Amino acid sequence: MIGGSPGASLILDEGLIREDDSMTDTDTDGATTVATMTEPLIRTTNLTQDYGSVLALDGLDIEIPPGITGLVGANGAGKTTLLKIVLGLLTPTLGTVSVLGSLVSENPIGIRERIGYMPEDRCLPLDQTAADFVGYAAELAGIPSSEARRRSSETLYLVGLHDERFRYIGDFSTGMQQRVKLAQAIVHDPELVLLDEPASGLDPKGREQMLDLITRFGEFGINVVISSHILEDIEATCEWVVMLDGGKLIRSAPLEPPAEGDEVSVEVFGDPGPLIAALAKLGVQATVEGPIVRVTSDEGQAFECVRDALAISESSVRRLGVSLSSLEDLFLEEAGG
Amino acid sequence: MTDQPRAVESSPDAIIVDRGYRKYEGLRTGPRGTMLAIVKDGFRRVTGLRRKARRKVLPWFLIILALTTMVILVGIHWATSNTPADLANLPKNGEYFDIISVIALLFSALAIPELLVPDRSQGTLNVYFSRPLTVDRYLAAKALAIVTVLMTFYLVPQFLFHLGLAAVSNEGFLSYLGGNLDVLWKVPTVALVYVAVHGAVASTIAAFLPRVGAAAGVFLGSMLIFNLIAAFFQGATDFPGARYASLFAFEQHPRVVRDWIFGIDTVDYLPTRAGFEPGVSLAMAALLVLIAAIAVRWQYRRSV
Repeated sequence: MIGGSPGASLILDEGLIREDDSMTDTDTDGATTVATMTEPLIRTTNLTQDYGSVLALDGLDIEIPPGITGLVGANGAGKTTLLKIVLGLLTPTLGTVSVLGSLVSENPIGIRERIGYMPEDRCLPLDQTAADFVGYAAELAGIPSSEARRRSSETLYLVGLHDERFRYIGDFSTGMQQRVKLAQAIVHDPELVLLDEPASGLDPKGREQMLDLITRFGEFGINVVISSHILEDIEATCEWVVMLDGGKLIRSAPLEPPAEGDEVSVEVFGDPGPLIAALAKLGVQATVEGPIVRVTSDEGQAFECVRDALAISESSVRRLGVSLSSLEDLFLEEAGG
Repeated sequence: MTDQPRAVESSPDAIIVDRGYRKYEGLRTGPRGTMLAIVKDGFRRVTGLRRKARRKVLPWFLIILALTTMVILVGIHWATSNTPADLANLPKNGEYFDIISVIALLFSALAIPELLVPDRSQGTLNVYFSRPLTVDRYLAAKALAIVTVLMTFYLVPQFLFHLGLAAVSNEGFLSYLGGNLDVLWKVPTVALVYVAVHGAVASTIAAFLPRVGAAAGVFLGSMLIFNLIAAFFQGATDFPGARYASLFAFEQHPRVVRDWIFGIDTVDYLPTRAGFEPGVSLAMAALLVLIAAIAVRWQYRRSV
């Protein structure tokens, strides 16, 4: 399942845009975009990447503000292509990208000095120690050798690998390797890090620790763009979300804290028919999605109505909770639309 | 907060200090520093330094073998220093290339794939090219690493051999050195031609194969097979243009140049037998380097 449990979800509220720094707009393609008044971290104009048989990006106009931004979309949505263009590794077929105020096409090398990148794919030399590799990554970004070693040690401390820094990367677990990837991305003090599926392959605890680390980057003055198809991760860490689908922008807007709707979800043992009939008798609207019955009430009495209907129908409750609108719901809604 | 230590947990006995994240305000070394880092890393990689012990075995075996042959030759020179001149007509710097070039060929087979293949097979290029580094600079740095490593492999034993010969010479140490100053340009020049030919062929192969072992095997095999093919076609005298096949005996071009520069008349190499001047062998070395540069660059620009 993509997305999270209802209790862990956030909602994207199009109406809750701060008036002082942004405004909402819907473009001709129906994508929701929120323009920021401050200098954006990344700005793309009519960005198009055509591989011949595949149109990876289709005229993207995006403005990503400073902070932690999620880049979401299904596999093949164009996330990695966008990151490669931002890094200057790919030249777009059409359009322009500016990163940190500079056009990528004019100064890709200068921009890369200010960016860190954590690839999704394997990118670690298994026969090197973590300290050596991270130090080498710092040297490649222009940090002098002695300072690179010092920063390597400090950064590995930060990601929780200080004691293991002289071990060979090939001996590390997946979670530890992900931390090394993260360390190399920030060791040279970038202003922006691009993280491609940072929690990929991690167990729940490792994932949580990784997301905690990423959230802390804001404290360090590092802006973050996380590319992920795990929407829960985006919800847990990001302040802004950019949604892509089939190379098109479907949304670029802030993520807001969760707001509970007056909707209750209930799942009963056995046939939900009697429960639905009881709800109908009480004059309450209910929708059925598989085994889940969703109940809404205009008068804010959804929970009480469900309680009464359960008593009338003598149904046994398997699960009951307040429904929250999740990023997954929103993504499916936008992509479907 | 970024520069200030932060106490995150404390107990009566201890405090854990989270040092946070330190901004870097210092100078950046620029492209030159980046390339130097790649060369240094290449040196460490090839010699197995800061790697597991088993990664050190082969390179250091070959290094020690090269030095051992040098010590043995110096020993023979010392043992025969008082014998008549015709008995003491022993290998000097020029002839020593016959020994060390074979060991260096094995070292090249090990070192060049090790310098090129893992960055691709382990995916680390994804990280390297996210740094302020272009494909051309990366390849230039790798080429510099290959030349540095292989030239060191040739020149250190040759240098020590030269000092050894001077030390056991009847002329006296300084007189020998003074009387053989031409070695100072001849040895590096010949070594460079060996490095160019071996490096070009091995780099081209390593750029296209995904495994170090496979690249090493194909390199050694190709050096042998091209010699055999060249000899076969040259032997088929009816074949029009058969003499040009001798130019494919890549492994023999540096030897031809070596004989030319040192004025040695060792054996009749295929290009010589086909009537080519030593300058053609030198031109072939340059052509191989050019072809390798184009092929390797094309492969890397395609895959990044």
